This record gives sequence, structure tokens and C-alpha cells, in this order.
Amino acid sequence: MSLKTRPLSPHLQVYRLPLTGLISITHRITGVFLCLALFGVLGLGAALAGGESAFLAAQACLAAPLGQLLLWGSAYALAFHFCHGVRHLLWDLGWGFDARRLDALAKLELAASAALTGLLYFLS
Amino acid sequence: MVEFTLPANSKVLPGKIHPAASSGGGRVRRFAIYRWRPDDAENPRVDYFDIDVDECGSKVLDVLIKIKNEIDGSLTFRRSCREGVCGSCSMNVNGKNTLACTQSIEDYVGEIKIYPLPHLPVVKDLVVDMSHFFAQYASIKPWLQNDAASETGEQARASGQSAAGEQLQSVEQRAKLDGLYECVLCACCSTSCPSYWWNGDQYLGPAVLLQAYRWLADSRDQERESRLRQLADSFKLYRCHTIMNCTDTCPKGLNPAKAIAEIKKMLAGLD
Repeated sequence: MSLKTRPLSPHLQVYRLPLTGLISITHRITGVFLCLALFGVLGLGAALAGGESAFLAAQACLAAPLGQLLLWGSAYALAFHFCHGVRHLLWDLGWGFDARRLDALAKLELAASAALTGLLYFLS
Repeated sequence: MVEFTLPANSKVLPGKIHPAASSGGGRVRRFAIYRWRPDDAENPRVDYFDIDVDECGSKVLDVLIKIKNEIDGSLTFRRSCREGVCGSCSMNVNGKNTLACTQSIEDYVGEIKIYPLPHLPVVKDLVVDMSHFFAQYASIKPWLQNDAASETGEQARASGQSAAGEQLQSVEQRAKLDGLYECVLCACCSTSCPSYWWNGDQYLGPAVLLQAYRWLADSRDQERESRLRQLADSFKLYRCHTIMNCTDTCPKGLNPAKAIAEIKKMLAGLD
């Protein structure tokens, strides 16, 4: 029996990621998303420099439902990425490893990023 | 390498259903168990066993032993101490790695799914090939390195003084090893870690890094500098992205993620 024919045991197919694990992959996904969102910011800057008609077109794009979704989706992604970044800084200092509090801190992160997005909404 | 799907020869197919032996009125629970045997070229499958848990011990391991004794003698799994100190019966039960011998059936509702430890080559059924894991463990030199200790020990033996070669620790120094020495190397944590799944060829994984920290934290060890030099590597240590599956899953209640953070702090000069 050659070793090559040994099957690989199931991993992602069977593992139930705990909340902190899900948040970890979300941090990575929002990071990639925010990189792409930078192109949007670049586009808005170009529209700002491009004169009145370009500015009005960009404004119309942002006011459309899809534009609003992308705008506030990006805002939440930024807030979440920021909150989990803070948690990573605390982890690197050796804080926040208590297994019994992992879920509570993860929920706090989600709530804090929603609150930050809300704050941005009221300030805008 | 990141590969989200299983290779073609590893896809799991539905298998046989073994109905409950008698309708004795006991509580019957269904156990879905991963099966693969090296004797033919067939894919792995999941067999279903309906077991009267009132006629069985209370732990997952008791069910496996009952199935092996009474229903299917070919069911293959590792076990030894049946009390959580040998680390042999580690497996994935309902999506989380645990020791079958300390895990109560009552902790689950509905069907109980039993798979081998994730992302390892399967030898047979629930037995996985752990040779790479143990080779990684050997690579961190998991023993006390202290030449002075052996010299004084030999001198003491030569002069007939039995206690003179002891390396004493203060209560505080000894307390630093609590939460580290209890590890039984069951590999539940390492095989729960997505980073270890994708980069396990080079990343040492939570279990081996916790062991590495166990020797770094030992006041009697003299090779702290060379141990740290060995670990200062973007793959061996820094593939840890604090996903925390290791701490979540450890059946001994230890905290490998915290141990890894302490190593990172040592390397950053923060300890």
C-alpha cells in the first residue's frame, strides 16, 4: 500500500469554527475588501478634481442604493477591521487570552464596530 | 498551501447503516463515524450506528469500544488510558477536536459525528499519521538543556551525595510551568488550526509551540537564546494569526495561543 493513496482527513468540511475563528477570517476578508475600496476613494478624489459634472456624477453614484450599500458596507468593514486590529495589538501584549471570555470579547468587537459605523452615520 | 476542498480520493461518501440491535426501550442515539481502510481503492465513507446509550458507558470512547466489541470489530481507533492523560483518543466530534475518553455523550444533542483529527493522512478509520507532528516536536529539543546540572549531578553521585545535584526552583519559577506541563500532545489544537492545515509542513503549530515555551519558561534551562533563535522564523512561529481555535478546543483546558504570544513577546523584548 503506497502512502500516496492515503486520504486526507476532512478539515473545513467538518470543523465548526468558533466565533473568534469566524471573526479572524472576516478580518482577512475585510482587509482585502478595504484594499479594493481604496480604488473607490481614488475615484472619488478624481471626480472631485474633475470639475462640476464629474462631481455630480460621483454624487449620483453614491446616492444610488448600490452606492449607499458599498459606502456603508465599507464603513462597517473599516470599523470592524479597526476593532479587530486593536484586539490584535492587545493580544500581542499578552492580554485577552482567557478562553471563557473569547466569545464575549468577539461580540463586543461586533457591537463596537456597529456603534462606530452608527457614529459615522450621525456625523455625516 | 491553501486548498479548501478535499482531493478526489478523500471525498467522503455515505456508507452503511447499522440499526439498533434491540428495541429494549433505551435511549437510542445515532453515531456517524468516518471509515476508511487501506485494503482497497475505495473512498472514505461515513457509517451510521444506532446505539442504545443506556447500555453503554457515558463517554464517546465507551460507544466506540461498544461498537468494536459488538457490531463491527474492524472499527479502528487509538486509545489507552481512558482518563485524559495519554492523549491517544483525540478525534473530531461534532466539529470540534476532543479526547473521546473525557467527552460525555450527554454534551451533544442529536446525531453525533465522529471524524479523525482534521487535515492529516488517514492510516485507517479514526487513526491518522502523526509522524510529522512528532518530528516537529523533536525539532524543538523537548528536554532540559543544562550542562551545569549534569556536572554537579555526576560530582554528587561520585562523592555519594544524593541531593547535591538538584536544581532548585522558587515557588514563582515553578508556577510558570503550570498550564504548560499538563499538555499530553494529543494534537487536538494543532489540527484545529487553519494555519497548521495550510502551512503545517513548516509552521510548528500550537502544540509544539506550547512545548517550546514550556522549555523557554523553565528557569533551569540554559539554552533560551538558541531556542529563541530557532523559533524566530516567519513560518515556524509567525504563521500563528491568533485565530484562537487551539485555545477553544484544548481538551485539557490549556492555552496554546497565550503560550505562542509569550514567545512572540520574548522575541520582541517585551517580557
